[in-house]
Amino acid sequence: MFEKLKSRLKEVRNKLDSGINEAATREGQPAEVPAAEKRPAGSTGLVDRVKVLIVDRELVISESDISEALSELEIVLLENDVAFPVTEEIIANLVKELVGKRRKIGEPVDAIVLSALKKALGDVLGEGFDIINYIKTHEHPVKILFTGVNGTGKTTTVAKIGYFLKKNGFSVVIGAGDTFRAGAIEQIDVHAQRIGIKIIQHQQGGDPSAVLFDTVQYAVAHNVDVVLADTAGRFHNRANLMNQLEKIRRVMKPDLIVYVDEAVAGNDAVIRADEFEKTVGADAVVLTKADMDPRGGAAISIAHTIGKPLMFLGTGQGYDDISPFSPEKVIEELFGDVA
Amino acid sequence: MLDKLGSSLKDALKKLAGKTVVDRAAVEELVKDLQRALLQSDVNVKLVMGLSNAIKKRSLEEELPKGVNVREHVLRIVYQELVNLMGDGGEVKLGAQTILMAGLQGSGKTTTTAKLARYFQRKGLRVGVICADTFRPGAYEQISTLCSKINIPCFGDPKEKDALKLVRDGLPSMSGLEVVIIDTQGRHALENDLIQEIIDINTISKATHRWLVIDAALGQQASEQARRFHEAIAIDGVIITKMDGTAKGGGALSAGLTLTASFPGSSAWGI
Ligand SMILES: Nc1nc2c(ncn2[C@@H]2O[C@H](COP(=O)(O)OP(=O)(O)O)[C@@H](O)[C@H]2O)c(=O)[nH]1
Ligand SMILES: Nc1nc2c(ncn2[C@@H]2O[C@H](COP(=O)(O)OP(=O)(O)O)[C@@H](O)[C@H]2O)c(=O)[nH]1
Ligand SMILES: [Mg+2]
Ligand SMILES: [Mg+2]
Repeated sequence: MFEKLKSRLKEVRNKLDSGINEAATREGQPAEVPAAEKRPAGSTGLVDRVKVLIVDRELVISESDISEALSELEIVLLENDVAFPVTEEIIANLVKELVGKRRKIGEPVDAIVLSALKKALGDVLGEGFDIINYIKTHEHPVKILFTGVNGTGKTTTVAKIGYFLKKNGFSVVIGAGDTFRAGAIEQIDVHAQRIGIKIIQHQQGGDPSAVLFDTVQYAVAHNVDVVLADTAGRFHNRANLMNQLEKIRRVMKPDLIVYVDEAVAGNDAVIRADEFEKTVGADAVVLTKADMDPRGGAAISIAHTIGKPLMFLGTGQGYDDISPFSPEKVIEELFGDVA
Repeated sequence: MLDKLGSSLKDALKKLAGKTVVDRAAVEELVKDLQRALLQSDVNVKLVMGLSNAIKKRSLEEELPKGVNVREHVLRIVYQELVNLMGDGGEVKLGAQTILMAGLQGSGKTTTTAKLARYFQRKGLRVGVICADTFRPGAYEQISTLCSKINIPCFGDPKEKDALKLVRDGLPSMSGLEVVIIDTQGRHALENDLIQEIIDINTISKATHRWLVIDAALGQQASEQARRFHEAIAIDGVIITKMDGTAKGGGALSAGLTLTASFPGSSAWGI
């Protein structure tokens, strides 16, 4: 993920760089430290006054210096699946950050551009979410409810996280809360058996709140550390299904609501994340299918829109195909190779 | 699909009403609105840029045909370019055929298989389904449950690990039927083994059609994924799923392949 974004960002950075440097040259100011710097030590008078004039003279970055690079950046972001409104905001923030900024002659341009770009993306990505630490510091059972639209990978993610937590020494019970889709109970049941995790299930067509309530009861009675509650996929524009989710929330009182979407989703990612966040809430996000060579923009879009941390990336169909998400690492990876 | 596009185009075109020469600023504004709508619908960025340049260039350079006002002239160009972008809609033929379903994980292949089976059945054809998904737990239960609700025979075996064997054994068992639909497991462009598997299924089954099932929400990745599937098995139809959500399907639209159906108003099938 982010591979394409990474290489294209490098190009844009260079463009921004040359845009600003060109402006410097136009104004007849060399971008290097002026010779006046090399004055003899201790001398005052004319030489020093020249120094103040030249070295301390600043350059103001104008919008036209960077407009070409910014429209390129806009395309880069869009091509990498950053949603349209989010792209516009990032560009606007970058303009705010750069335009009118006073740059001392001699201050490397790259550093200014880089920090502005880093800041723009860093603000958007926020912080990660340390699930292990969360479980350690909260009363057990920690109840985690998984939500999202159809087919994003909720059930597989429940299995992967269950496996991950089990490996980290926690006891886990899974609630088969998708009582709607044909084959859904069989699916999660097979997963649970393979990874050796207890599962509570009712009949297909049953009330999902009831099975998840029973799962919580089981966890309390058996001192289980974590409840993972699977649910049926639903679209945010279906009021009755969203109400059902709201009921599940009231009945099982989750400590965490994890919203699951796919890394390959385009502009709709922001619309649905926003709706889920508004109706039932979301505390963290998991993005699946990061192995499909996605552009990664959905991560930026969703994080920016609902302001909730990304907890994991799903990277395949195996139980180990999940990795904790670290925004610093992403930023580091995107910009770390400053040449 | 692209419903927002309609209204923003109308607004933009209004600005050209009553003009006698094509006004550069108005055209630019129109192109910008169009771009915005297409990009928000996940249409491929390169396609959008190409399209907007073509519209701008043609609107400003092409001579106004006699008896046509500026608004009509530009509208016609926009229309032609949009049609170019979308390609022809395909149609579902009613007759004996074997259809191979392909697509990314979770795109809606199994649900669509059942919807198609019901569609052909209602048109009076005898339909059967083969479940060749040997990977996803519950895959056979899912499709066989859907099929039994609508009285469609479904061949499969949840314990079998070899998808090719299922297809080989399944086809003869469907010999009395007119339409056979083969459901497969999800796969993506980078999974070479699985791409090879669907190439082999296609060869063995001698499928009449190979339809790619694409989620309406799929973003800029759509074209590349579609290209890989197309290289592998010569996709001859695309089905867009989940159009009942808020996604616009522009990714699927940009796949550059024939759109076969979108089953408007379709929904998740719980049964
Ligand atoms: N390639 C890939 N496939 C995944 C990933 N997560 C889930 N899937 C697949 O996506 C499909 C839908 O997943 P599922 O968990 O059933 O989604 P749900 O409907 O949201 O519960 C299944 O075929 C999964 O194996 C992932 O990270 N990468
Ligand atoms: N709302 C809605 N859900 C759909 C549609 N098509 C499939 N689904 C749901 O999307 C999820 C994945 O579909 P499935 O057929 O299992 O996908 P497959 O992995 O490609 O076979 C399931 O929850 C389906 O019920 C659709 O057109 N609309
Ligand atoms: Mg599920
Ligand atoms: Mg399937």
